[in-house]
Amino acid sequence: MGVALREILVDFRSDAAWQELQGIAAVDAHNALYQFLSIIRQPDGTPLMDGQGRITSHLSGILFRTLNFIEKGIKPVYIFDGEPPEFKREEIEERREQRRQAEAGWQEAQERGDTEEAYKYARSASRVDSYIVSSSMELLRLMGIPWVQAPSEGEAQAAYMARRGDAKYAVSQDYDALLFGAPVLARNLTISGKRRFRGRVVTLNPERIVLADVLKGLDLTREELVEIGILVGTDFNQGVRGVGAKTALKIVKKGEFRERMRESDPDFDPETVKSFFLSPPVTDDYALAWPAPDTRGIVQFLCGDFGFSEERVNSALEKLQTKTGQKTLDQWF
Amino acid sequence: MLKATIDADIFRESVDAISALVTECRLHAEPDRIYTRAVDTANVAMISFQLKKEAFESYQGTKEELGLDITKLKNILGMMTKGGSIRLNLPEGGQKLELSFNSYHYSITLLDVNTIRKDPNPPTIELPGRIVISGDVLFSAIKAASVVSDKIALGIDPSRQQFYMMAEGDTDHIRLELGRNELEELTLVEVRSLFSLDYLKDMGKIMARAEKVEIHLGVNHPVKFSFDIAGGRGHIDYLLAPRIEAE
Repeated sequence: MGVALREILVDFRSDAAWQELQGIAAVDAHNALYQFLSIIRQPDGTPLMDGQGRITSHLSGILFRTLNFIEKGIKPVYIFDGEPPEFKREEIEERREQRRQAEAGWQEAQERGDTEEAYKYARSASRVDSYIVSSSMELLRLMGIPWVQAPSEGEAQAAYMARRGDAKYAVSQDYDALLFGAPVLARNLTISGKRRFRGRVVTLNPERIVLADVLKGLDLTREELVEIGILVGTDFNQGVRGVGAKTALKIVKKGEFRERMRESDPDFDPETVKSFFLSPPVTDDYALAWPAPDTRGIVQFLCGDFGFSEERVNSALEKLQTKTGQKTLDQWF
Repeated sequence: MLKATIDADIFRESVDAISALVTECRLHAEPDRIYTRAVDTANVAMISFQLKKEAFESYQGTKEELGLDITKLKNILGMMTKGGSIRLNLPEGGQKLELSFNSYHYSITLLDVNTIRKDPNPPTIELPGRIVISGDVLFSAIKAASVVSDKIALGIDPSRQQFYMMAEGDTDHIRLELGRNELEELTLVEVRSLFSLDYLKDMGKIMARAEKVEIHLGVNHPVKFSFDIAGGRGHIDYLLAPRIEAE
């Protein structure tokens, strides 16, 4: 979901060439997986599945996007969400309800034979569950790509690692990483550069947002940026009805944050959410290493267990091997 | 048609050697031998395997191509006790290979050969460096190197008249040097290539049983390991693509 700050961040987004993005990238895994699940689908919205009916969209997404990263000189580390904070419960329950409705809508649309409508609903019904997470971790392990289990929010951990200098930037479609203090946020790191947006297919280029530029440009502290987020609404709280990013900016500048929050919902204490953004639970317990991929293991896992086409996986892996240093025999035949 | 009896240990060694690289292969039967040539799924390693008629206790074969599920075969052989003989029978154009051992009689459905990758052509590679070493020593070095790293450099230092194996980890380093008197043969030409220990470990287990292994090396070229099995009545070549040195 993320925080709707686009309006005030537009001026600070700059196109980034792939080579400028070379280096270590802390990728919000949940965000990436959700994207794969919602985008990698058949025309009627059915996700990719193996013979046993297990979803494989996310595995396809991880394989090809990660290979693309490596080819471009980006060393990814995937950050998985841990336990959500207590106050996120409400939001999670709401998302569940939305998904339930979307699932019902999808089935209905399929029965009607309305492919376009079905696709729309199917996307909203995407769910990142424990199977999706564990199978993704296994594929990453085989690919020699490190992942980190965040104690709480993945974006918070990604932001922390970028702040420490262990990663050059955080990767997420959501702006939350900026609120968590990521010095640089990269978006739209997709392979095709195409994305469905409100029913249309648009071409997107990788873009970069530098937190320091945002704060300087809007003359804000990070704390104030977090306040704007809270007014608009975050994953952890409902925003103030009718307040968008621009209005929120004005409110914060006038120093009326507390007042407006109290007016909107006297029972809600914004300080809990604020301090969560400013000092979220993070961990130092991670090791970043990119060992050689276990290509045979990958083929066994994807083609043996999940019925991927061996030809397709092999040709993709060739890229990985050349980059990680393993040559193939092809050039000597 | 294939009708043969073979020592169970020789058959097991043969299947193990193939299974080090592939899970299925096209096995060719001919009047005087069986052979296969297969590349692993990642196109990194190749095995050329042959077992002469003489390696069998009895052998009758006509030209035939068998699609073998090597993993299944390995599991079946795993059930068997050591020693004894295995009888193989494939009728002309048959789709099931009969395999008998003691009082066990297996009927194994063959794979459709069209679903298995075609045999690659034998590559033409010039590999000037040649070393002859005991399989046991070679495997020990591979095991030792895999403790510190996931890759190993193999090379010849002509000035010191040595064959060396060197592995470098993040913090540790191992170098094994073998001079002329510790080797059966050594050509004095400067060669060096880097290889994945992942593959070498699997091949090494098989090579460990060979009295002599011929290693052929070049500069950033594949390595070829060539050795006999079944007391010289069978032969295996493993070919492994190098890794790129600079990282």
